[in-house]
Amino acid sequence: MVTRQPGDRTLPTLITLLVIGVLLMTFDIRSEGGGVTGVLRSGTQTIVAPLQKGAAFVVNPVVDAVDTLTNLASLREEVRALEAELAEKEAELVAVQDDLAILEFYEQLYELEATGSDLGRTPAQVIGQPEAFDGALIIDKGSSSGIVVGQPVIDTSGYVVGSVQQVTSGTATIVPITVGPSGVAVTVGNQIGTVLPQVTTNVMRLTLDNAQEPVLRGDRVVTSSGSVRFPAGYPVGQIVADVAPTADALTAEVEPFVQPEALRVVVVLAWPPDPITAITPETTTTTSSTSTTIPGEGSSTTTSPEDDG
Amino acid sequence: MRLRSVLTVGASLLAAVVLQTTLFSQTEPFIPDVVMLVVILLCLTRIRPELLLGIGFLSGLAVDLLGSAVLGLQAIVFTIVAYLAIRTKDRADVGRIVTGLWAGMMTLAGVVLLIVVGTLFGQSVLLGEGVVDRLFLVPLTNFILALIVAPTFVRVVDRDSTAFRYA
Repeated sequence: MVTRQPGDRTLPTLITLLVIGVLLMTFDIRSEGGGVTGVLRSGTQTIVAPLQKGAAFVVNPVVDAVDTLTNLASLREEVRALEAELAEKEAELVAVQDDLAILEFYEQLYELEATGSDLGRTPAQVIGQPEAFDGALIIDKGSSSGIVVGQPVIDTSGYVVGSVQQVTSGTATIVPITVGPSGVAVTVGNQIGTVLPQVTTNVMRLTLDNAQEPVLRGDRVVTSSGSVRFPAGYPVGQIVADVAPTADALTAEVEPFVQPEALRVVVVLAWPPDPITAITPETTTTTSSTSTTIPGEGSSTTTSPEDDG
Repeated sequence: MRLRSVLTVGASLLAAVVLQTTLFSQTEPFIPDVVMLVVILLCLTRIRPELLLGIGFLSGLAVDLLGSAVLGLQAIVFTIVAYLAIRTKDRADVGRIVTGLWAGMMTLAGVVLLIVVGTLFGQSVLLGEGVVDRLFLVPLTNFILALIVAPTFVRVVDRDSTAFRYA
């Protein structure tokens, strides 16, 4: 099947390039994406970013138009479903406003000062994905908009998407939690655990190490105040099926609220606002996005991002 | 390789990278790997084989630099695909469909290699939802694209209007 002429140098060239490739991989893994490889990535992305933005400017309206035409039949049903959902959410909003009023009353009563409500939020448009198998997302905002590596990313509903992996002045690369290499510290009810991505599926795996109670289908999984990557209280997903603990451990599947490949707009959070206080949770006092711990009293409250109003 | 050919190849690869990261990231489920396809089709031209391997390596490296997976992964995959394509290109110049099938087979080899090497190096970002479907849909889409553009592409790069006329 394979033809090879005498005297050709393709095989030695191939071997040389493969060795260089393996060395690059080893170097990149060992330097954890920083150093020279980080500079190279940044440089390349900076060069290509204007072209990507230009192409996205032309392509996105065309893709949207084609999408609309192909989905025309189902649009009416979708509008009805969205109207019903809107009515439901408006009712929930009224209830949340009541809760907020009560929260505000207690904050005044105990003289608590909210420090988490002023988290910087940078909305950004998703302009593409690096390649067919790469689950990362490229957005049209970068360091010139205040985005830095490691910042958490949510969608417009406040659901966790992932975190920033690479930044150039005009773009950033987001790695979703469903494909990223790291887990996320979460809480289910009052139990603390970790969700990890799984291969070939968006469904994630929840592990609770000191599980005392079962988790039930539909239970919300939210980011924990123990997380160093995400502010607390942001919804990650919901439990797929009822699971009871075995001894102290519990493993369950979590359906994430976000389908990263369907996202068009995301929001990058400027978090932690102060990295020094972020690593000393006992002294932090926040309301909207992290837990509030009152030293000496041992009480704490946690509110979800929806409570922001 | 003349300056004009260098510019044509460079422009093709740049266009492929930009289209891959923007337009073709939104054509679910039929997402091609356009950069890999350009590398495969370049192997049908008269460019020297050693140079083709270098082009494959640099193209893969460019994709690596724009992506979130480990640096060097796509460079290795594209280089091996280019090598396979160089070794088997004699079988592609038979007819339009055969050329398309050949490009599809090369792509299949490339994506399988990408998943295998990516898994060995713990690149979970490549193994998200629908990876098994994409394993077949990416080569299929590349097959269709090669069917349409392969002869014209070779003629433009080689500046030879008689190339790939399938006489």
